[in-house]
Amino acid sequence: MKPLLQKSAVWFAYLGVLLGLPLLFDSILAITIFNQMAIAIIFALSYNMLLGQGGMLSFGHAVYFGLGGFMAVHTLVMIEYETVYFSIIYIPLIGGLIGLLAAIFIGSFSTHKAGTVFAMISLGIGELVAASSLIFVSFFGGEAGVNADRTYGPPFFGVEFFQDVEIYYLAAVWVFIATLFMYLFTQTPAGRMANAVRDNPERAEFIGYSARRVRFISFCASGFFAGIAGGLFALNYEFITEENLNAVTSGRVLLMAYIGGLGYFIGPIIGAVILTLMNSLLSNYTELWMLYLGIMFVLTVLFLPRGFAGFIMMHRTAWIRGKLRSLLLPYLITGVPALLFATAGVAMIEMLHHEGEAFHFLGLPLDSANLLHWLLCAVVATFAYLGCKRTLPQLQEAWESANAIDEAGEERERS
Amino acid sequence: MSMLSLQNVSKQFGETRIIRDVSLDITPGERHAIIGPNGAGKSTLFHLISGKYQPTSGKILFRNEEIQGKTPFAIARLGLARSFQVTNIFPRLSVFENIRCGLLWKEGFGYSFWHLLGRQGELNAKARELLVEIGLADRADYPAGELAYAQQRALELGIAIASGADLIMLDEPVAGMSHSEAESAVALIRKITEGKTLIMVEHDMNIVFDVADRISVLVYGEIIASDTPTAIRANPKVQEAYLGEVPTASTDSISDEKPEDIDGA
Amino acid sequence: MLEVFIFSTLNGLVTGLLLFMLASGLTLIFSMMGVLNFAHASFYMLGAYFAYSISLHLGFWAGLIFAPLIVGLLGAEIERFALRRVHAHGHVAELVFTFGLAFLIEESVQFFWGPDTKNYQSPDILDFPLFTLFGQEFSAYRGFMIAISVGIFVGLYYVLTRSRIGIIIQAAITHPHTVANLGHNVPFIFMGVFGVGTALAGVAGVIAGPVLTTFPGMAVVLGSIVFVIVVIGGLGSLGGAFIASLMIGLLQSYAIASNVGMPDLLNLLGLEFSRDHPLTDLWTLTLPQVAPILPFLLLVLVLIFRPTGIAGKREQ
Repeated sequence: MKPLLQKSAVWFAYLGVLLGLPLLFDSILAITIFNQMAIAIIFALSYNMLLGQGGMLSFGHAVYFGLGGFMAVHTLVMIEYETVYFSIIYIPLIGGLIGLLAAIFIGSFSTHKAGTVFAMISLGIGELVAASSLIFVSFFGGEAGVNADRTYGPPFFGVEFFQDVEIYYLAAVWVFIATLFMYLFTQTPAGRMANAVRDNPERAEFIGYSARRVRFISFCASGFFAGIAGGLFALNYEFITEENLNAVTSGRVLLMAYIGGLGYFIGPIIGAVILTLMNSLLSNYTELWMLYLGIMFVLTVLFLPRGFAGFIMMHRTAWIRGKLRSLLLPYLITGVPALLFATAGVAMIEMLHHEGEAFHFLGLPLDSANLLHWLLCAVVATFAYLGCKRTLPQLQEAWESANAIDEAGEERERS
Repeated sequence: MSMLSLQNVSKQFGETRIIRDVSLDITPGERHAIIGPNGAGKSTLFHLISGKYQPTSGKILFRNEEIQGKTPFAIARLGLARSFQVTNIFPRLSVFENIRCGLLWKEGFGYSFWHLLGRQGELNAKARELLVEIGLADRADYPAGELAYAQQRALELGIAIASGADLIMLDEPVAGMSHSEAESAVALIRKITEGKTLIMVEHDMNIVFDVADRISVLVYGEIIASDTPTAIRANPKVQEAYLGEVPTASTDSISDEKPEDIDGA
Repeated sequence: MLEVFIFSTLNGLVTGLLLFMLASGLTLIFSMMGVLNFAHASFYMLGAYFAYSISLHLGFWAGLIFAPLIVGLLGAEIERFALRRVHAHGHVAELVFTFGLAFLIEESVQFFWGPDTKNYQSPDILDFPLFTLFGQEFSAYRGFMIAISVGIFVGLYYVLTRSRIGIIIQAAITHPHTVANLGHNVPFIFMGVFGVGTALAGVAGVIAGPVLTTFPGMAVVLGSIVFVIVVIGGLGSLGGAFIASLMIGLLQSYAIASNVGMPDLLNLLGLEFSRDHPLTDLWTLTLPQVAPILPFLLLVLVLIFRPTGIAGKREQ
């Protein structure tokens, strides 16, 4: 009973956080960001069903998101004109069903192999669908997209969803349900065999499972949840365009999942949160946030291949051994110079961008015409870089000793 | 009824004939070893039986049912399991999960996405039992990829057994093991394949003569002899294949030699 | 009719040869390292931009010489410091890395040169019609593009098949360990091939920039098509890539120039649909409309029915 209680505790906490967020941050901006996060979380988790759990790299996942979204918007229009009439709380399910149907169709011929062939097919399909959406104007609305109004549905316990925060609570419930079911999927035979097929498709066949069928099931499930995210998108923005189907959106979800960490269930959630924050908050401070995103992504792939979740999990051994505290000082000693280096670097990039004009950087006035400012940044950057490099060995040492195998530690680890 | 029957099986890749007209019958419960020099085609034979390759000609019957041309997973479901020369496990899953996955199909779970594995008491108990049998119970939660080599081989064996197959095919099960490790492995193989049919490819003659009821010798894709261990030992064709020539001295001195001296390449 | 055919063939040839310049570099890199370089078209873009900046001060021809060199050097350095590192993490990580690289390069280009289209001019010396046929001109610059492309391929062919370094490269593609055991510096060769491959993409950018417009989205436009070509041609086959490049170039050219469409087909069948029909978009579809997506349609079909492509050799 005890492990069950422990596990449930995590889920209760999750639900609590989801429902409690608007109480802590109730500005309109915050609610908008939360809504975006909710959509991104479901989308990224659905993507990881393919990549992290199934080993299938897709460059066209936005297809299911977008198709779900388009169907959802059209359903809203139909509700408005009373062709159909039901509460909009079911709209994400409509999106999910369309995503599922699309995945069944496309998955029937694209799941024969994983690897490069799969990636290329997904790329081709993604481009095909995105391009077709510009041709079939009556359904996809051409370049202008399709829009609708979500307030025409029957009220749900008096709520007519005029306000964003009402949509947020609906989204929170859907996020919780979707996360729960996607997690439970990983605990089923289909989910486990997906992992097995990812690790070793040949061996999986020799224990009686068709690798292709296993992949197909994961593919359909992932399309279903992506469609739910699309439906939620439609409810939130009441508007959808070709952009939500295309390679840019597909790329974005890949980024989210990867930065968060593919190998952990919670990874995409972290990635979705980080990316949404960068997208909405950072873009208010600098026009170059996409550039920083690109830099961060490349650095993550190079140095943190297991993502942020992986980085956190790396500390598990030290935590179990109770040696986590011993890492705090070494991290500070190397981390502060690293942070300074990054800050100085960003300052210089911003100065390059704002050529000839003065601007504010973290509250300090900077002027790219002022040579002194350049010198200051360059000096800080150089010293910070050297400092970081010099102190790296001590961090490595501390890391090794925190992770060292010792008899007592092994016992504690086992229990 | 024979458990496994190969009838005039041939396999060629392009112009090269790897398996030439092989016929073999394995009786249920038999322990059969396949030996032969490197490159003779032993692994290819396994691949043909387990469905990875399709024979160019000939038939393969498993319990009187034709299986040539069937997919590996269809053949596995019929009750045929195999292990691999190069360790072939699921490295990122835990040891326990590896075994449990091996059990899934036999226990009837199929492609279910509605059964929660944590709740399947019977399944999990079986998996734990099997883990104890192969001696990996204390490593249950380790990622399989982090096990020592010999333990990975034991896990490999466990996965093959888990499927509840009646015909187990082992491809060089003790390759790369030290002498003591190999001894434990053979004991495990013996114990675990009680009552089942076993086909084993092996180079170590000690093990072969110790375990096998019958031995087939594969040379250049052909079976040159298929008989009891004693008869094989005395067979001049076999001696020629291994020693390069038939000894001209009396055959007594050859059959008196200890098995270690007739060692495969 | 004949003039349309001739000109679209010529234009298709120009496009096809350009595509092959990109596809050949990509194929070489894939054959050697097993990684599909998602950022390949980004080096094409960098070639155009560097050439543009150089041409502002030193003229077009300086750009033609120096821009590919800069791009090639950049590519080599990226291989040496980044790609090699990622290689250890597996194929998925490599693909994701090159994907991130493409993204980063696009943003960097926007950062350094701005988001607007650059006025990259073809040299005045080539600004005359090479010939006039049926009243239409075919510019000398396009003829120049064809000439340069062919020249480069011939040169590449000779280097690969007749020179010592070429033989070593060919050997290293299939047997890197043996080549290393023979004393050759295989990592250096890898770096070199990556550098040459990206330099080739850079050359394509230098000569295509004035014609296909130089703007930050130019990599995206061509990038996917180059992938399609490499896959259709057969991963790892230069010959297949050549055939596929010309095929796609010509196909698109003919499709755009043609005037046929669904209405003609419907006419043939004696069918007619009103404007209000829900599938009216389908019934009014014309071939020029569909032209941009033809490569992807072909890609999906090939991957389903013949995953090894036209002349595929290396399977992942």
